[in-house]
Amino acid sequence: MVKVSELGIKFRMQKRRRSQVLDFFGEKFRNRQRPTGEFWALRHVTFTVERGETVGIIGRNGSGKSTLLRVIAGIYPPDEGTVSVDGEVSTLFSLGTGFNAELSGRDNIYLNGIMIGLTKIQIDGIIDAIINFAELGDFIDVPVRTYSSGMKARLGFAIAMHSDKDIVLIDEIMAAGDAAFRQKADVEMERIMGEKTVLLVSHNMSTIERFASTVIWLDRGAMAAMGEPKEVIEQYLAASRVKKPPPDLD
Amino acid sequence: MIEQLKNVWQRRELLWYIVKFQMKAEKKNKVLGFAWSFLDPLLLLLVYIVLVSYIFGRGGPQFPILLFIALLSWRWFTSSLVRSVTSVTSKVGLIQGVRFPLAILPLSGIIIGFFDWLFGFVILVPMLFIFEASFTVNILWLPVLLLVEFVGIVGACLIFAVVGTYLSDLSNILQFLIRLGFYLSPILYSVEDTVPERLTTLYMLVNPFAGLLESYKNVLIRGVPPSEYALVGVAVALVVFMVGLWYFSRNEYKLVKAI
Repeated sequence: MVKVSELGIKFRMQKRRRSQVLDFFGEKFRNRQRPTGEFWALRHVTFTVERGETVGIIGRNGSGKSTLLRVIAGIYPPDEGTVSVDGEVSTLFSLGTGFNAELSGRDNIYLNGIMIGLTKIQIDGIIDAIINFAELGDFIDVPVRTYSSGMKARLGFAIAMHSDKDIVLIDEIMAAGDAAFRQKADVEMERIMGEKTVLLVSHNMSTIERFASTVIWLDRGAMAAMGEPKEVIEQYLAASRVKKPPPDLD
Repeated sequence: MIEQLKNVWQRRELLWYIVKFQMKAEKKNKVLGFAWSFLDPLLLLLVYIVLVSYIFGRGGPQFPILLFIALLSWRWFTSSLVRSVTSVTSKVGLIQGVRFPLAILPLSGIIIGFFDWLFGFVILVPMLFIFEASFTVNILWLPVLLLVEFVGIVGACLIFAVVGTYLSDLSNILQFLIRLGFYLSPILYSVEDTVPERLTTLYMLVNPFAGLLESYKNVLIRGVPPSEYALVGVAVALVVFMVGLWYFSRNEYKLVKAI
Protein backbone atom coordinates (compact mmCIF):
# COMPACT_ATOMS: atom_id res chain seq x y z
CA MET A 1 0.00 0.00 0.00
CA VAL A 2 1.17 3.53 -0.77
CA LYS A 3 -0.25 6.39 1.25
CA VAL A 4 0.63 9.96 0.28
CA SER A 5 -0.75 12.82 2.29
CA GLU A 6 -0.34 16.55 1.73
CA LEU A 7 2.96 15.84 -0.01
CA GLY A 8 5.11 18.81 -0.95
CA ILE A 9 8.50 18.72 -2.68
CA LYS A 10 10.47 21.90 -3.01
CA PHE A 11 13.34 22.53 -5.41
CA ARG A 12 15.87 25.27 -5.65
CA MET A 13 15.70 26.84 -9.10
CA GLN A 14 18.99 26.01 -10.84
CA LYS A 15 20.58 29.41 -10.97
CA ARG A 16 23.91 30.49 -12.26
CA ARG A 17 26.59 28.45 -10.58
CA ARG A 18 28.17 31.44 -8.97
CA SER A 19 25.11 32.51 -7.03
CA GLN A 20 24.45 28.89 -6.15
CA VAL A 21 27.84 28.76 -4.49
CA LEU A 22 27.17 31.96 -2.58
CA ASP A 23 23.89 30.48 -1.38
CA PHE A 24 25.75 27.42 -0.34
CA PHE A 25 28.06 29.39 1.92
CA GLY A 26 25.17 30.94 3.74
CA GLU A 27 22.12 33.15 3.90
CA LYS A 28 24.06 36.34 4.45
CA PHE A 29 25.62 36.24 1.00
CA ARG A 30 22.25 35.94 -0.65
CA ASN A 31 20.98 38.94 -2.48
CA ARG A 32 17.68 39.67 -0.78
CA GLN A 33 16.29 41.68 -3.66
CA ARG A 34 16.12 38.62 -5.87
CA PRO A 35 13.50 35.94 -5.37
CA THR A 36 14.96 32.95 -3.56
CA GLY A 37 14.24 30.84 -6.60
CA GLU A 38 12.39 28.04 -4.89
CA PHE A 39 9.51 26.26 -6.48
CA TRP A 40 7.23 23.45 -5.48
CA ALA A 41 7.53 20.52 -7.85
CA LEU A 42 4.64 18.94 -5.97
CA ARG A 43 2.30 20.37 -3.40
CA HIS A 44 -0.84 19.27 -1.55
CA VAL A 45 -0.74 15.87 -3.17
CA THR A 46 -2.88 13.35 -1.32
CA PHE A 47 -3.90 9.87 -2.41
CA THR A 48 -3.83 6.24 -1.41
CA VAL A 49 -3.03 3.25 -3.56
CA GLU A 50 -4.33 -0.04 -2.23
CA ARG A 51 -2.37 -3.26 -2.50
CA GLY A 52 -2.78 -4.75 -5.97
CA GLU A 53 -4.18 -1.57 -7.45
CA THR A 54 -2.81 0.01 -10.62
CA VAL A 55 -2.79 3.78 -10.66
CA GLY A 56 -2.05 5.78 -13.78
CA ILE A 57 -0.42 9.19 -13.53
CA ILE A 58 -0.88 11.66 -16.37
CA GLY A 59 -0.03 15.29 -16.95
CA ARG A 60 2.06 17.57 -19.08
CA ASN A 61 5.86 17.58 -19.19
CA GLY A 62 7.23 19.02 -15.99
CA SER A 63 4.04 18.51 -14.01
CA GLY A 64 5.79 16.41 -11.36
CA LYS A 65 5.01 12.86 -12.48
CA SER A 66 8.55 11.53 -12.31
CA THR A 67 9.21 13.47 -9.11
CA LEU A 68 6.21 11.75 -7.55
CA LEU A 69 7.56 8.32 -8.46
CA ARG A 70 10.96 9.27 -7.02
CA VAL A 71 9.38 10.32 -3.75
CA ILE A 72 7.62 6.97 -3.52
CA ALA A 73 10.92 5.23 -4.30
CA GLY A 74 12.44 7.10 -1.34
CA ILE A 75 14.85 9.15 -3.42
CA TYR A 76 13.48 12.56 -2.40
CA PRO A 77 12.36 13.02 1.18
CA PRO A 78 9.12 15.05 1.45
CA ASP A 79 9.50 18.70 2.39
CA GLU A 80 5.88 18.73 3.49
CA GLY A 81 3.39 16.04 4.35
CA THR A 82 4.05 12.32 4.62
CA VAL A 83 4.57 9.34 2.38
CA SER A 84 4.25 5.83 3.71
CA VAL A 85 5.10 2.87 1.57
CA ASP A 86 4.29 -0.61 2.77
CA GLY A 87 6.40 -3.08 0.80
CA GLU A 88 9.54 -3.16 -1.30
CA VAL A 89 9.80 -0.89 -4.30
CA SER A 90 11.20 -1.89 -7.65
CA THR A 91 12.41 1.24 -9.32
CA LEU A 92 12.40 1.60 -13.03
CA PHE A 93 15.29 3.39 -14.52
CA SER A 94 13.35 5.27 -17.12
CA LEU A 95 14.71 4.44 -20.55
CA GLY A 96 17.82 2.85 -19.20
CA THR A 97 19.32 5.88 -17.49
CA GLY A 98 20.65 3.61 -14.77
CA PHE A 99 22.78 1.62 -17.16
CA ASN A 100 26.53 1.84 -17.44
CA ALA A 101 27.08 2.33 -21.17
CA GLU A 102 30.49 0.63 -21.25
CA LEU A 103 29.27 -2.58 -19.68
CA SER A 104 27.44 -5.41 -21.38
CA GLY A 105 23.71 -5.93 -20.97
CA ARG A 106 24.46 -8.93 -18.77
CA ASP A 107 26.67 -6.94 -16.40
CA ASN A 108 24.04 -4.22 -16.29
CA ILE A 109 21.39 -6.72 -15.25
CA TYR A 110 23.55 -7.63 -12.26
CA LEU A 111 24.34 -4.02 -11.45
CA ASN A 112 20.71 -2.91 -11.68
CA GLY A 113 19.49 -5.97 -9.83
CA ILE A 114 21.88 -5.34 -6.94
CA MET A 115 20.87 -1.67 -6.94
CA ILE A 116 17.22 -2.48 -6.38
CA GLY A 117 18.18 -4.82 -3.57
CA LEU A 118 18.31 -8.28 -5.14
CA THR A 119 21.13 -10.64 -4.24
CA LYS A 120 23.46 -12.21 -6.78
CA ILE A 121 21.82 -15.59 -6.28
CA GLN A 122 18.38 -14.14 -6.94
CA ILE A 123 19.65 -12.54 -10.13
CA ASP A 124 21.30 -15.78 -11.24
CA GLY A 125 17.84 -17.31 -10.98
CA ILE A 126 16.05 -14.77 -13.14
CA ILE A 127 18.70 -13.63 -15.60
CA ASP A 128 17.77 -16.07 -18.37
CA ALA A 129 14.13 -15.06 -18.13
CA ILE A 130 15.14 -11.38 -18.34
CA ILE A 131 17.35 -11.91 -21.39
CA ASN A 132 14.64 -13.94 -23.08
CA PHE A 133 11.97 -11.43 -22.32
CA ALA A 134 14.06 -8.49 -23.52
CA GLU A 135 14.76 -10.36 -26.79
CA LEU A 136 18.37 -9.19 -26.82
CA GLY A 137 19.92 -12.44 -28.08
CA ASP A 138 23.65 -12.09 -28.68
CA PHE A 139 23.50 -8.39 -27.90
CA ILE A 140 23.33 -9.23 -24.21
CA ASP A 141 27.14 -9.52 -24.17
CA VAL A 142 28.01 -6.30 -25.99
CA PRO A 143 28.25 -2.84 -24.36
CA VAL A 144 24.94 -1.11 -23.72
CA ARG A 145 26.18 2.01 -25.54
CA THR A 146 25.60 0.13 -28.81
CA TYR A 147 21.94 -0.53 -27.95
CA SER A 148 19.07 1.31 -29.56
CA SER A 149 16.74 3.17 -27.20
CA GLY A 150 14.15 0.45 -27.75
CA MET A 151 16.61 -2.23 -26.67
CA LYS A 152 17.50 -0.30 -23.54
CA ALA A 153 13.84 0.20 -22.73
CA ARG A 154 13.16 -3.51 -23.19
CA LEU A 155 15.99 -4.45 -20.91
CA GLY A 156 14.89 -1.97 -18.24
CA PHE A 157 11.32 -3.18 -18.41
CA ALA A 158 12.38 -6.82 -18.27
CA ILE A 159 14.47 -6.24 -15.14
CA ALA A 160 11.64 -4.45 -13.36
CA MET A 161 9.10 -7.10 -14.28
CA HIS A 162 11.26 -9.93 -13.03
CA SER A 163 12.46 -8.31 -9.84
CA ASP A 164 9.39 -9.52 -7.93
CA LYS A 165 8.94 -6.50 -5.68
CA ASP A 166 5.60 -5.53 -4.14
CA ILE A 167 5.45 -2.09 -5.67
CA VAL A 168 6.36 -1.47 -9.30
CA LEU A 169 6.99 2.02 -10.62
CA ILE A 170 6.87 2.45 -14.38
CA ASP A 171 7.95 5.72 -15.90
CA GLU A 172 7.07 5.87 -19.60
CA ILE A 173 9.31 2.94 -20.31
CA MET A 174 6.98 1.00 -22.56
CA ALA A 175 6.76 3.78 -25.11
CA ALA A 176 10.10 3.07 -26.77
CA GLY A 177 9.53 -0.58 -27.57
CA ASP A 178 8.25 -1.69 -30.96
CA ALA A 179 4.73 -3.03 -31.57
CA ALA A 180 5.64 -6.65 -30.92
CA PHE A 181 7.38 -5.85 -27.68
CA ARG A 182 4.54 -3.67 -26.50
CA GLN A 183 2.09 -6.48 -26.94
CA LYS A 184 4.33 -8.67 -24.88
CA ALA A 185 4.72 -5.93 -22.29
CA ASP A 186 0.95 -5.59 -22.13
CA VAL A 187 0.59 -9.30 -21.41
CA GLU A 188 3.20 -8.96 -18.68
CA MET A 189 1.41 -5.95 -17.21
CA GLU A 190 -1.81 -7.95 -17.06
CA ARG A 191 0.03 -10.75 -15.31
CA ILE A 192 1.28 -8.54 -12.48
CA MET A 193 -1.90 -6.48 -12.19
CA GLY A 194 -3.86 -7.41 -9.11
CA GLU A 195 -0.77 -9.10 -7.73
CA LYS A 196 1.43 -6.05 -7.41
CA THR A 197 0.82 -2.42 -6.66
CA VAL A 198 1.65 -0.47 -9.80
CA LEU A 199 2.17 3.22 -10.41
CA LEU A 200 2.29 3.89 -14.10
CA VAL A 201 3.37 7.16 -15.69
CA SER A 202 2.57 7.44 -19.36
CA HIS A 203 1.60 9.84 -22.11
CA ASN A 204 -0.13 7.03 -23.93
CA MET A 205 -3.76 7.38 -22.90
CA SER A 206 -4.80 3.99 -24.23
CA THR A 207 -2.14 2.31 -22.08
CA ILE A 208 -3.38 4.22 -19.06
CA GLU A 209 -7.02 3.45 -19.77
CA ARG A 210 -6.30 -0.20 -20.31
CA PHE A 211 -4.39 -0.86 -17.10
CA ALA A 212 -5.23 1.77 -14.53
CA SER A 213 -8.16 1.44 -12.17
CA THR A 214 -7.64 5.00 -10.98
CA VAL A 215 -5.96 7.92 -12.71
CA ILE A 216 -4.26 10.92 -11.13
CA TRP A 217 -3.86 14.03 -13.26
CA LEU A 218 -1.01 16.24 -12.14
CA ASP A 219 -0.87 19.82 -13.31
CA ARG A 220 2.11 22.00 -12.37
CA GLY A 221 2.71 20.02 -9.21
CA ALA A 222 -0.87 19.93 -7.98
CA MET A 223 -3.53 17.27 -8.25
CA ALA A 224 -5.90 18.53 -10.90
CA ALA A 225 -8.14 15.49 -10.74
CA MET A 226 -8.28 11.92 -9.52
CA GLY A 227 -10.79 9.22 -10.25
CA GLU A 228 -12.23 7.03 -12.99
CA PRO A 229 -9.70 6.70 -15.83
CA LYS A 230 -12.16 7.63 -18.57
CA GLU A 231 -13.36 10.79 -16.85
CA VAL A 232 -9.95 12.07 -15.78
CA ILE A 233 -8.40 11.40 -19.18
CA GLU A 234 -11.24 13.27 -20.85
CA GLN A 235 -10.74 16.25 -18.57
CA TYR A 236 -7.01 16.19 -19.18
CA LEU A 237 -7.36 16.02 -22.94
CA ALA A 238 -9.94 18.79 -22.88
CA ALA A 239 -7.62 20.98 -20.85
CA SER A 240 -4.72 20.26 -23.18
CA ARG A 241 -6.63 21.79 -26.05
CA VAL A 242 -7.17 25.17 -24.42
CA LYS A 243 -4.92 27.21 -22.16
CA LYS A 244 -5.68 26.94 -18.50
CA PRO A 245 -4.74 29.50 -15.85
CA PRO A 246 -2.13 28.17 -13.40
CA PRO A 247 -3.63 26.73 -10.23
CA ASP A 248 -2.86 28.54 -7.02
CA LEU A 249 -0.31 26.41 -5.20
CA ASP A 250 -0.13 28.41 -2.01
CA MET B 1 26.34 9.66 11.44
CA ILE B 2 26.45 6.14 12.83
CA GLU B 3 23.31 5.58 10.77
CA GLN B 4 25.28 6.55 7.67
CA LEU B 5 27.90 3.88 8.36
CA LYS B 6 25.23 1.28 9.05
CA ASN B 7 23.43 2.06 5.81
CA VAL B 8 26.62 1.70 3.81
CA TRP B 9 27.44 -1.57 5.52
CA GLN B 10 23.98 -2.92 4.70
CA ARG B 11 24.52 -2.14 1.03
CA ARG B 12 28.10 -3.48 0.90
CA GLU B 13 27.19 -5.88 -1.88
CA LEU B 14 26.15 -2.91 -3.99
CA LEU B 15 29.41 -1.13 -3.15
CA TRP B 16 31.36 -4.17 -4.21
CA TYR B 17 29.50 -4.46 -7.52
CA ILE B 18 29.98 -0.79 -8.31
CA VAL B 19 33.72 -1.20 -7.69
CA LYS B 20 33.93 -4.38 -9.73
CA PHE B 21 31.99 -3.09 -12.71
CA GLN B 22 33.66 0.31 -12.64
CA MET B 23 37.07 -1.34 -12.84
CA LYS B 24 35.83 -3.60 -15.60
CA ALA B 25 34.40 -0.68 -17.59
CA GLU B 26 37.63 1.31 -17.26
CA LYS B 27 39.84 -1.49 -18.57
CA LYS B 28 37.53 -3.01 -21.11
CA ASN B 29 38.22 -0.90 -24.17
CA LYS B 30 41.98 -1.01 -23.88
CA VAL B 31 44.14 -3.37 -25.87
CA LEU B 32 46.38 -4.05 -22.89
CA GLY B 33 43.37 -4.04 -20.54
CA PHE B 34 44.24 -5.37 -17.13
CA ALA B 35 47.99 -5.03 -17.79
CA TRP B 36 47.64 -1.26 -17.34
CA SER B 37 47.08 -1.82 -13.63
CA PHE B 38 50.76 -2.82 -13.49
CA LEU B 39 52.11 -0.67 -16.31
CA ASP B 40 50.72 2.60 -14.96
CA PRO B 41 52.69 2.66 -11.71
CA LEU B 42 55.75 1.14 -13.34
CA LEU B 43 55.97 3.82 -16.03
CA LEU B 44 55.35 6.55 -13.49
CA LEU B 45 58.15 5.15 -11.38
CA LEU B 46 60.53 5.08 -14.34
CA VAL B 47 59.90 8.73 -15.13
CA TYR B 48 60.82 9.82 -11.61
CA ILE B 49 63.85 7.53 -11.44
CA VAL B 50 65.16 9.11 -14.64
CA LEU B 51 64.47 12.56 -13.22
CA VAL B 52 66.02 12.12 -9.78
CA SER B 53 68.71 9.46 -10.21
CA TYR B 54 69.99 10.41 -13.65
CA ILE B 55 69.21 14.06 -14.22
CA PHE B 56 69.78 15.27 -10.66
CA GLY B 57 72.11 12.44 -9.66
CA ARG B 58 70.52 12.08 -6.23
CA GLY B 59 68.46 9.55 -4.32
CA GLY B 60 70.90 6.85 -3.22
CA PRO B 61 70.91 3.10 -3.90
CA GLN B 62 67.49 2.33 -2.41
CA PHE B 63 65.81 5.28 -4.06
CA PRO B 64 63.57 3.26 -6.44
CA ILE B 65 61.80 1.40 -3.63
CA LEU B 66 61.67 4.39 -1.27
CA LEU B 67 60.07 6.35 -4.08
CA PHE B 68 57.74 3.57 -5.12
CA ILE B 69 56.04 2.97 -1.78
CA ALA B 70 55.58 6.70 -1.25
CA LEU B 71 54.31 7.16 -4.79
CA LEU B 72 51.74 4.36 -4.44
CA SER B 73 50.37 5.68 -1.17
CA TRP B 74 50.26 9.25 -2.45
CA ARG B 75 48.53 8.13 -5.63
CA TRP B 76 45.87 6.27 -3.63
CA PHE B 77 45.07 9.51 -1.82
CA THR B 78 45.01 11.79 -4.86
CA SER B 79 43.20 9.48 -7.29
CA SER B 80 40.49 8.96 -4.67
CA LEU B 81 40.09 12.71 -4.28
CA VAL B 82 39.93 13.29 -8.03
CA ARG B 83 37.29 10.58 -8.40
CA SER B 84 35.26 11.85 -5.46
CA VAL B 85 34.80 15.33 -6.96
CA THR B 86 32.70 13.94 -9.82
CA SER B 87 31.47 10.84 -8.00
CA VAL B 88 27.97 12.25 -7.48
CA THR B 89 27.48 14.22 -10.70
CA SER B 90 28.63 11.33 -12.88
CA LYS B 91 25.97 8.99 -11.48
CA VAL B 92 22.85 11.08 -11.92
CA GLY B 93 21.01 8.22 -13.62
CA LEU B 94 21.57 5.86 -10.72
CA ILE B 95 20.82 8.41 -8.03
CA GLN B 96 17.52 9.42 -9.59
CA GLY B 97 16.54 5.81 -10.20
CA VAL B 98 16.90 4.14 -6.86
CA ARG B 99 17.42 4.93 -3.20
CA PHE B 100 20.82 3.99 -1.82
CA PRO B 101 23.34 5.58 0.55
CA LEU B 102 25.20 8.09 -1.60
CA ALA B 103 28.39 7.68 0.43
CA ILE B 104 28.85 4.51 -1.61
CA LEU B 105 29.84 6.66 -4.61
CA PRO B 106 33.00 8.31 -3.19
CA LEU B 107 33.76 5.09 -1.30
CA SER B 108 33.80 3.06 -4.49
CA GLY B 109 36.48 5.40 -5.91
CA ILE B 110 38.59 4.92 -2.78
CA ILE B 111 38.38 1.16 -3.05
CA ILE B 112 39.30 1.25 -6.75
CA GLY B 113 42.29 3.39 -5.73
CA PHE B 114 43.25 0.81 -3.12
CA PHE B 115 43.24 -1.93 -5.75
CA ASP B 116 45.66 0.20 -7.75
CA TRP B 117 47.82 0.40 -4.64
CA LEU B 118 47.71 -3.40 -4.35
CA PHE B 119 48.65 -3.93 -8.00
CA GLY B 120 51.59 -1.61 -7.51
CA PHE B 121 52.55 -3.45 -4.33
CA VAL B 122 52.73 -6.71 -6.26
CA ILE B 123 55.47 -5.12 -8.37
CA LEU B 124 57.11 -3.58 -5.33
CA VAL B 125 57.59 -6.90 -3.49
CA PRO B 126 60.26 -8.38 -5.82
CA MET B 127 61.91 -4.95 -5.94
CA LEU B 128 62.23 -5.00 -2.17
CA PHE B 129 64.47 -8.05 -2.54
CA ILE B 130 66.46 -6.64 -5.45
CA PHE B 131 67.21 -3.39 -3.63
CA GLU B 132 67.86 -5.19 -0.33
CA ALA B 133 65.20 -3.75 1.94
CA SER B 134 65.58 -4.67 5.62
CA PHE B 135 62.81 -7.04 6.56
CA THR B 136 61.93 -6.89 10.25
CA VAL B 137 58.89 -7.44 12.41
CA ASN B 138 58.09 -3.77 11.82
CA ILE B 139 56.49 -4.77 8.55
CA LEU B 140 53.44 -5.69 10.63
CA TRP B 141 52.79 -1.96 10.95
CA LEU B 142 51.91 -1.80 7.27
CA PRO B 143 48.18 -2.65 7.62
CA VAL B 144 47.92 -0.12 10.45
CA LEU B 145 49.36 2.61 8.24
CA LEU B 146 47.00 1.64 5.43
CA LEU B 147 44.05 1.82 7.82
CA VAL B 148 45.06 5.30 9.00
CA GLU B 149 45.39 6.46 5.43
CA PHE B 150 42.03 4.89 4.51
CA VAL B 151 40.23 6.66 7.36
CA GLY B 152 41.70 10.00 6.34
CA ILE B 153 40.91 9.48 2.66
CA VAL B 154 37.30 8.57 3.42
CA GLY B 155 36.81 11.78 5.39
CA ALA B 156 38.42 13.97 2.74
CA CYS B 157 36.53 12.32 -0.11
CA LEU B 158 33.16 12.69 1.62
CA ILE B 159 33.81 16.42 1.89
CA PHE B 160 35.06 16.71 -1.70
CA ALA B 161 32.10 14.74 -3.03
CA VAL B 162 29.67 17.28 -1.57
CA VAL B 163 31.61 20.40 -2.51
CA GLY B 164 32.45 19.03 -5.98
CA THR B 165 28.76 18.55 -6.73
CA TYR B 166 28.09 22.24 -6.26
CA LEU B 167 31.40 23.58 -7.44
CA SER B 168 32.88 21.94 -10.50
CA ASP B 169 35.78 24.42 -10.28
CA LEU B 170 37.04 22.17 -7.52
CA SER B 171 38.64 19.88 -10.13
CA ASN B 172 40.90 22.72 -11.27
CA ILE B 173 41.80 23.75 -7.74
CA LEU B 174 42.44 20.14 -6.83
CA GLN B 175 44.86 19.59 -9.71
CA PHE B 176 46.93 22.47 -8.42
CA LEU B 177 46.78 21.33 -4.78
CA ILE B 178 47.82 17.81 -5.73
CA ARG B 179 50.84 19.09 -7.64
CA LEU B 180 51.82 21.31 -4.72
CA GLY B 181 51.28 18.56 -2.18
CA PHE B 182 53.39 16.18 -4.22
CA TYR B 183 56.48 18.41 -3.96
CA LEU B 184 55.80 19.32 -0.34
CA SER B 185 55.61 15.67 0.70
CA PRO B 186 58.55 13.29 1.12
CA ILE B 187 58.00 11.34 -2.10
CA LEU B 188 60.87 12.33 -4.41
CA TYR B 189 63.07 12.83 -1.37
CA SER B 190 63.36 11.67 2.22
CA VAL B 191 62.93 14.04 5.12
CA GLU B 192 66.25 13.25 6.83
CA ASP B 193 68.48 14.06 3.86
CA THR B 194 66.55 17.01 2.41
CA VAL B 195 64.69 18.95 5.09
CA PRO B 196 67.07 20.95 7.36
CA GLU B 197 67.06 19.50 10.86
CA ARG B 198 65.79 22.63 12.62
CA LEU B 199 62.78 22.67 10.28
CA THR B 200 61.95 18.95 10.50
CA THR B 201 59.44 19.28 13.34
CA LEU B 202 57.65 22.15 11.65
CA TYR B 203 57.59 20.33 8.30
CA MET B 204 56.18 17.17 9.84
CA LEU B 205 53.54 19.04 11.82
CA VAL B 206 52.36 21.14 8.89
CA ASN B 207 52.08 18.20 6.49
CA PRO B 208 50.13 15.37 8.12
CA PHE B 209 50.97 13.15 5.16
CA ALA B 210 54.73 13.45 5.68
CA GLY B 211 54.85 11.36 8.85
CA LEU B 212 52.73 8.70 7.23
CA LEU B 213 54.88 8.49 4.10
CA GLU B 214 58.10 8.31 6.12
CA SER B 215 56.50 5.58 8.21
CA TYR B 216 55.70 3.51 5.13
CA LYS B 217 59.37 3.74 4.16
CA ASN B 218 60.48 2.95 7.73
CA VAL B 219 58.50 -0.23 8.23
CA LEU B 220 58.89 -1.62 4.73
CA ILE B 221 62.42 -0.66 3.70
CA ARG B 222 64.46 0.72 6.56
CA GLY B 223 63.23 -1.95 8.97
CA VAL B 224 62.49 0.47 11.81
CA PRO B 225 59.25 1.42 13.59
CA PRO B 226 56.94 4.13 12.17
CA SER B 227 57.97 7.74 12.56
CA GLU B 228 56.52 9.33 15.71
CA TYR B 229 55.15 12.05 13.44
CA ALA B 230 52.72 9.50 12.01
CA LEU B 231 50.66 10.38 15.08
CA VAL B 232 49.99 13.74 13.44
CA GLY B 233 48.57 11.79 10.51
CA VAL B 234 46.45 9.66 12.84
CA ALA B 235 45.00 12.72 14.55
CA VAL B 236 44.29 14.55 11.31
CA ALA B 237 42.80 11.42 9.72
CA LEU B 238 40.39 10.93 12.63
CA VAL B 239 39.30 14.56 12.68
CA VAL B 240 38.84 14.69 8.90
CA PHE B 241 36.89 11.42 9.05
CA MET B 242 34.48 12.73 11.69
CA VAL B 243 34.02 16.06 9.94
CA GLY B 244 33.55 14.37 6.56
CA LEU B 245 30.97 11.95 7.89
CA TRP B 246 29.05 14.71 9.65
CA TYR B 247 29.18 17.01 6.63
CA PHE B 248 28.12 14.34 4.18
CA SER B 249 25.22 13.12 6.35
CA ARG B 250 23.98 16.67 6.66
CA ASN B 251 24.05 17.27 2.90
CA GLU B 252 23.09 13.90 1.45
CA TYR B 253 19.47 14.75 0.68
CA LYS B 254 20.37 18.18 -0.63
CA LEU B 255 22.74 16.54 -3.10
CA VAL B 256 19.95 14.42 -4.56
CA LYS B 257 18.01 17.57 -5.36
CA ALA B 258 20.98 19.61 -6.54
CA ILE B 259 22.00 17.34 -9.41
